Amino acid sequence: MPDAAPLWAAVVLPAALAVAAVVTAGFDAVLSGSAERGPAGSLREAGLRATAPLREALRLLVQQPRRTTAADRLLGRLGVVLVPVAAVLAGAVLPWGSRAVSDPSVGIVWFNAMEALAWAAVWLAGWGANSALSLIGGYRFLAQGLAYELPHMFAITTAALGAESLRVGDVVAAQDGLWFAVWMPAAFVVYLLSALAMAFWGPFEHPLARDTAGGAAAELAGVDRLVFLGGRWLLLVVTAGFSVPLFLGGGHGPLLPGWAWTLLKTAAVLALLVAGRRLLPTLRMERYMELAWMVLVPLTLLQALFVAVVVLNR
Amino acid sequence: MRALLDDVIFWVLALLAVAGGLMVFRFDSMARATYALLTSLLCVGGEVLLLGLDYLGVVIVLMMTIEMAIMAVFMVMYMMNPAGLMPMTMLHNKQGAAAICAVVFAVLAAGILLAPWPSRRGRPPDDPTMDLGLSLMGPQMLTMMTLGLALFATIVATVVLATRRGRYDRFGDDLKARRADDPVRGGTGR
Amino acid sequence: MDLRGLVRRTAMNRPAVLTVALPGATELRLEAEAEVRRRGWPVVGAPAAADLLVVCGVPAPEHAEWLDRMERSMPEPAVRIVVGESGQVAHALGMARGDLTDRAVTPRGGHVDDRSEAQAGEHGDHEHGEHEGHGPHQPADHAAHMDHTDHQGHGGRMDHSGHDMHAMEVAGLPMAERGDDRDELRLDQLHVPFGPGLGDWPAGLVLRLTLQGDVVQDVEVDHLPVASGPRPPFWDEPWLRAAHGEEVTRGDAVRRRCAAHLDSAGRLLAVVGWDDIAVRCRRLRDELLSGASGEGIGGALRRTVRRVGRSRALRWSIAGLGELPADRARAAGVTGPALAADGDAYDRLLMWLNEVERGLEGLDDTRPLAPDDRTGPRGRLDGPQPPSQALLDILAELLTGAEFACARIIVASLDPDLDELALAPVPGAAHA
Repeated sequence: MPDAAPLWAAVVLPAALAVAAVVTAGFDAVLSGSAERGPAGSLREAGLRATAPLREALRLLVQQPRRTTAADRLLGRLGVVLVPVAAVLAGAVLPWGSRAVSDPSVGIVWFNAMEALAWAAVWLAGWGANSALSLIGGYRFLAQGLAYELPHMFAITTAALGAESLRVGDVVAAQDGLWFAVWMPAAFVVYLLSALAMAFWGPFEHPLARDTAGGAAAELAGVDRLVFLGGRWLLLVVTAGFSVPLFLGGGHGPLLPGWAWTLLKTAAVLALLVAGRRLLPTLRMERYMELAWMVLVPLTLLQALFVAVVVLNR
Repeated sequence: MRALLDDVIFWVLALLAVAGGLMVFRFDSMARATYALLTSLLCVGGEVLLLGLDYLGVVIVLMMTIEMAIMAVFMVMYMMNPAGLMPMTMLHNKQGAAAICAVVFAVLAAGILLAPWPSRRGRPPDDPTMDLGLSLMGPQMLTMMTLGLALFATIVATVVLATRRGRYDRFGDDLKARRADDPVRGGTGR
Repeated sequence: MDLRGLVRRTAMNRPAVLTVALPGATELRLEAEAEVRRRGWPVVGAPAAADLLVVCGVPAPEHAEWLDRMERSMPEPAVRIVVGESGQVAHALGMARGDLTDRAVTPRGGHVDDRSEAQAGEHGDHEHGEHEGHGPHQPADHAAHMDHTDHQGHGGRMDHSGHDMHAMEVAGLPMAERGDDRDELRLDQLHVPFGPGLGDWPAGLVLRLTLQGDVVQDVEVDHLPVASGPRPPFWDEPWLRAAHGEEVTRGDAVRRRCAAHLDSAGRLLAVVGWDDIAVRCRRLRDELLSGASGEGIGGALRRTVRRVGRSRALRWSIAGLGELPADRARAAGVTGPALAADGDAYDRLLMWLNEVERGLEGLDDTRPLAPDDRTGPRGRLDGPQPPSQALLDILAELLTGAEFACARIIVASLDPDLDELALAPVPGAAHA
């Protein structure tokens, strides 16, 4: 069982997540830049492209906030702020190496509950602005939630079942020899899909899609926009990072210390997701919903059954 | 010290829960009322956590967040004005409601005051989650299974009754159509 | 220089751009898009996210209102520029950035008053925003912000009349009405105009949608007035000029057709949410228009077309949307690729891309274009009506009953070019 981290870890966590988010967004900006303007000619150009997220953040800080007619500002603001808060709270149970800020006995359920706050957050942000387009974006996320949540819950339940514990530390310890990703491939893949869906990013960015002029974020400007969109990157980092203790053996690995392995694996998962995004159009829920319930739910149930049988017989 | 902190947290959460519940009836917008209710329920989840029932507490947070978010969908379906422009109220049949409330409150309060509460015997279990699981899947298994199936059957039956279109509408009278005839096409063609 | 100023200057070094094209300004839009991309400025799809509004084409007086509204809903510092002539774009963007940085460093004081007053009188639009923090002069905020405590006083009286409130207005905004949905549930519906200032949207198109949730219940197709300018519609130019007796090579015509299809495909792919390919299509479009040779561009173009053709996810995502069988298309007077595709949005996309790939060999063909060849990118230009008119005519029928997201995809998969409407009154448009 991992040790509890010292108190300062709680302060470092948001900063570390923010750095990871900026690096991920930078990688994404480099890939987008090369699609848009061809490969970077020089190292300087590449660096300039990689710092795009930082420049974007600065730009949003300089912008004045705005508000719309008859908006529900209380709820709108609440939704905007809730996104990064949910990400950081979920990140509290992320083990770095053998330590997490907190390792409660029901860590996996905690993670799931915090991630569910995003349901409320995106809808509130879409609702608050009092604009048809942003409201459409807001309830697109609820449809998305209904589609991804069940397969997602079954996937993380499968990992907990394999470790016979809801404590994240125990799940990591149970993967000392064999990673869960190896003998629970379906649960792993479904988890990666739902990680994207939870962060409403990439192929699952329909709630914020271009066809609704930015959806739930359509009316956000300045700091509001920065907090909301930055929170989304945090959420992506946390959800992708959580696949490491769940399925990829956490900090286990030869030679390097635990935290280095965690970092490497998280970076690899994020790189996979960011690069893989280039291959897919946005998945619209009127199509994905049927796939999720007719294919993914039975698939994850079968996976859970398989794992349960293995666990019972060992 | 620990007990004092627990007391403070208990009272803060309790007051917030009651205040949230009151605000449900004070707000004039469906969205605010829904999320005031959610605040109240999240505080209750916090109280359960305080009792040391981690699993139940976190599950309350999880379930109630999702539930209230879904409730918002229905709200939007029936009342699409963004940001709750249309003023509304949650108060109906005021006198009757007040009477019912008073009676229920009196009964519950009397129950609390009059019930012979047992004093604690033994220690709390090390892992209440495990005990909960053993209890649900042990002595209470028949109850839980029946309950689960009944709930699920109710959901399916309600949807079937509410849907106007059945499989004959979707796949033709001989059910031979290759692709379902739906107003909006789904992802698997079924 | 003080640090604050430096930070503000740096922040606005690459402003976020929202491009709005007016009908007839296709060429200017392409120029602006290419220049913005060359500078690496972020491109956004909503006024709230933008610092710089680039209006392509000279707005007529009747455009002033919605353009003003768009500008007002941009957060400070905001600048609008109008690009009216070809070749101005680079200069205009440079000037605009200068303006923006100045305004960011010294937030404006004197100009604020007239803007705020303009806001006070109008609340007619769901999507119009207001700035806050404009100093003491804020009549708009008070008028617009409906204080919720106001209602509580008379909340009790609304007990049972709550549902009859639909006809009233709150904060100047009309309330939703109710209507039966497709399952015969009586639900709220909203009337929302979409366009003309949307990203990835045909210039000048306005759809007045009746939305229930995000299902399009009813649609009224409208557009901004299209004035026939001195120049023919950009995408149809080679054929019209040839018909006029001018010397036009086949290569030029093919090049224009390919660019038009790449423009449409880029738009559709952007709406579908596959940005990676969408921006590639746009880059190829601009390279084609700036005269890239067939060999130079062939490899990249074929790779892109192949990636689209191979994507099962894309096919799964948009197959079945906007089904338009050939007989229905013909009856509506559709002639171009939309007729030949004989199918849904996916088929139309593939039809565009196939035509582009086929066109590759003909890019450098220097033989003159036959004057009786009048098949432009969107169909026959010598029919009784311009090809895009037919596309607009079938739009309402295809959109009714679709989800909002699907509706956007259907519009993009037909991609009517409203510039062509300037040809309308002249049958056998060649003589325009």
